[in-house]
Amino acid sequence: MTLQRKIFGLVLLLLLALALTLPFTVSNYMLRVCNMTMITYMCVVSLFVIFGMAGQISFAQAGFWGVGAYISAILTVKLHVSALVALLASGLGTAAFAAILGLALFRLHGHYFGFATIGVVMILNGLFQNWKPVTGGADGIANIPPFAIGSLEFASETSLFYLIAVAVIIISIATYVIYRSSLGRAFMAIRDNEIAAKCMGVNCYQTKVIAFAISGLYCGIAGSLFAFVSSYISATSFTFMQSSLYLVMLMLGGYHSLPGPIVGTALLMMLPEWFRFLQEYILLIYGLGVMLLMVVMPDGLIGGGKQALESYRNKRKGVANVAQK
Amino acid sequence: MVLQLIIASLAMGIVYGLVAMGFVLIWRAVGVVNFAQGDLLMAGAYVAFTLTELEGLPMPVALVACAAIMALVGVVFHFLTYWPLRKSWDMTVIISTIGASIALKEIATLVWGPAPLSVEPIIPGIARFASVSIEWQFLVTIVIAAALMGMIFYLLEKTYIGNILQATAQDQYAAELIGIPVVVATSMTFAISALITGIGGMLISPIFFVSTTMGGSPGLKAFAAVIIGGFGSVPGAIIGGIVVGVIDTFSGAYISSTYRDAIVFLCLILALLVRPQGIFGEKISDKV
Amino acid sequence: MSPKNNPVMVLEKVCKRFGGVVAADDVSFELEPGQIRGLIGPNGSGKSTTLNLISGICDVEPGIILLDGEDITKKAIHERARMGIARTFQHPRLLSRCDIKTNLFLGHDLGNMRRASGASQEIDQSVDELLDVAGLKIGMDDSIKTLSYGQQKLLEIIRAILTKPKVFLLDEPAAGINTREMDRIRALIAIAIRNKAAVLLVEHSMDLVMSLCDIITVLNFGCVIAEGVPAEIQGNEAVIEAYLGRRRHA
Repeated sequence: MTLQRKIFGLVLLLLLALALTLPFTVSNYMLRVCNMTMITYMCVVSLFVIFGMAGQISFAQAGFWGVGAYISAILTVKLHVSALVALLASGLGTAAFAAILGLALFRLHGHYFGFATIGVVMILNGLFQNWKPVTGGADGIANIPPFAIGSLEFASETSLFYLIAVAVIIISIATYVIYRSSLGRAFMAIRDNEIAAKCMGVNCYQTKVIAFAISGLYCGIAGSLFAFVSSYISATSFTFMQSSLYLVMLMLGGYHSLPGPIVGTALLMMLPEWFRFLQEYILLIYGLGVMLLMVVMPDGLIGGGKQALESYRNKRKGVANVAQK
Repeated sequence: MVLQLIIASLAMGIVYGLVAMGFVLIWRAVGVVNFAQGDLLMAGAYVAFTLTELEGLPMPVALVACAAIMALVGVVFHFLTYWPLRKSWDMTVIISTIGASIALKEIATLVWGPAPLSVEPIIPGIARFASVSIEWQFLVTIVIAAALMGMIFYLLEKTYIGNILQATAQDQYAAELIGIPVVVATSMTFAISALITGIGGMLISPIFFVSTTMGGSPGLKAFAAVIIGGFGSVPGAIIGGIVVGVIDTFSGAYISSTYRDAIVFLCLILALLVRPQGIFGEKISDKV
Repeated sequence: MSPKNNPVMVLEKVCKRFGGVVAADDVSFELEPGQIRGLIGPNGSGKSTTLNLISGICDVEPGIILLDGEDITKKAIHERARMGIARTFQHPRLLSRCDIKTNLFLGHDLGNMRRASGASQEIDQSVDELLDVAGLKIGMDDSIKTLSYGQQKLLEIIRAILTKPKVFLLDEPAAGINTREMDRIRALIAIAIRNKAAVLLVEHSMDLVMSLCDIITVLNFGCVIAEGVPAEIQGNEAVIEAYLGRRRHA
């Protein structure tokens, strides 16, 4: 097991090193796709926290992503706040927003909470679309200045790549720490059996709100970075459909473990790029592919892969046992 | 003015009610929320467009043909999204319906092109009753939708087929034990669901343009209607649909036309917080 | 009757109604540290309801439950758990999608929380010792689904012991398990007793109850119909009647 862990760690490091050299090996366009993939990954991880770990299905994530983006855009464009402060404000502001929302909505249980979050993303989208004095209405907010720390400006795709990569790594590590902590166990206890969780001293209501707030934090940071990367935001990005895509990515990758969101996001963001030659059929194949994958691997790619590995091992064990006899 | 609004909101509401019924039938039969319900509405609108505008079929024929085609679409939908996953966790079916939603939109784009299409009203023009003038399309919508609802109600409550469908919805295993072919029952439920939703699409297509994204908003509003009415209740779906139609139309007219969607969903959240089980309360328990 | 030194938990005239059905009617008893009280009775006599009332899954109406002299009747389930009420379920409620380690750690987390607030000390046994007593030779990273029903029940008991409970409620631990596992359960309950827990054991296996319990409470139709040491209960007319029905006197 430990050897496996070491190999896994080594592979992870190698992949990470490979990923960090991407700006030197791929085109500017692909780098932009990578940046968007990483931003999407953060939102998918946020869904991993609230749904994968805590078992509360949420369609609000794209709305939170939008809240983060608008906070940063408004602060930098209209109030000329420095970008770093805006980033932090987006993260914390969205987390606070999610927490308040959670306090109200977690009075609902199970499916009903999920239904309410559909309402949340629709209302937020309506606000983004129509609240002209604040969000710019349908015109959105343009001319968002590039991200900068002091005089260090992140204007090129390459510099943005590293900036987002840092955020992605921090969020991944933070999520791993949570996953291994008592808080993460409380999340998973709620997911698997709420009564058992309560009997083990977990304050379910409060813990769900915390999970929702953490997911809001991630989405807020992702939204802020999205605003800086695209320099223009409008309501069309922050939709119910986007939220359901996050869900699809998480489920396809596997909602059981942290590699799931990585695999799911990378797959669904990159495949359309690689299969660009299919042109107008790509989205159709995408949709049908999602349906097919659910049939073949209902636990997602990571879950399905693990199962395949386990059954292979058991087979080998069986063979070994027979050989011993 | 108010009377016109009432008729308009009833027309929209009854269409939401149809789609909501589609949601509820599938939910009751297989315990799954179908996220492609709005896209079935879109499919119905496109089919209706082809039948009336391209083929030039007379109205009653087109209506029956559209119903038949949509029933078939429902059966295909059932075998692609639900049947292979029937033994699996309900989340996987939900994801599968999201995939189907994407696929349906793309099929529509490939077949009919990305540009929105316009459809002639079933009966064009405006009806005048004394001082009020009402578009005939609204009245036709209400009449056809109400008749369809009545038929479905009769089918479910009074006929042998309805008993089979309800028995299967309550307990698939038990239904199988007493010799009901479950696959026939569930695919039939999907067929009925797609049929009424598709006719809903046909009815609103002259009011809006026919486009690949036209299912999004009515689909979600119908979903709101399901929750407001009470999850799993057919009368609840209809009442919920009309409630949503009224909120939608009147908030659009009196409060703000831009925020009408947001207001509908705000009402949804408030309704959830005040009475989660909906008007015709039937509390769904979480599957452990 | 046993001497009443210092009860950790007191139930005073606890009642519960489900619609018109009375599930618990003026149930009163006390639990003492290091003592096992058996709670028996025919099916539907209110045993599980009583456990649910103590752990907080059902609301008491009316009646009072005291833990260390403090009224916990209105406290939420998790608050009671943090105060030291642990329980197992008739059908084990483990985290089905997690590995064994996570399940055990969940008990440890609550133990840590209780220690941090000064409510308890470290238990004397390590997880490995407990697993050894339970005869569970399992990989910590294995999925819960790899365990047999009996093993799951043992694991759930260990998880509860790790919280170092003051009051330990066991709901039919012996149902559906084999005799070897029954012995393991005995050993685990003995450990809980050594850790000064007050044990309330709901059980149908008379074997286990009569051999293990210091004192027994018998319920029928939600009422306490008898209380006493095993020998007294075995000869009690009312108890025999409740189980076998009224004997016809010719």
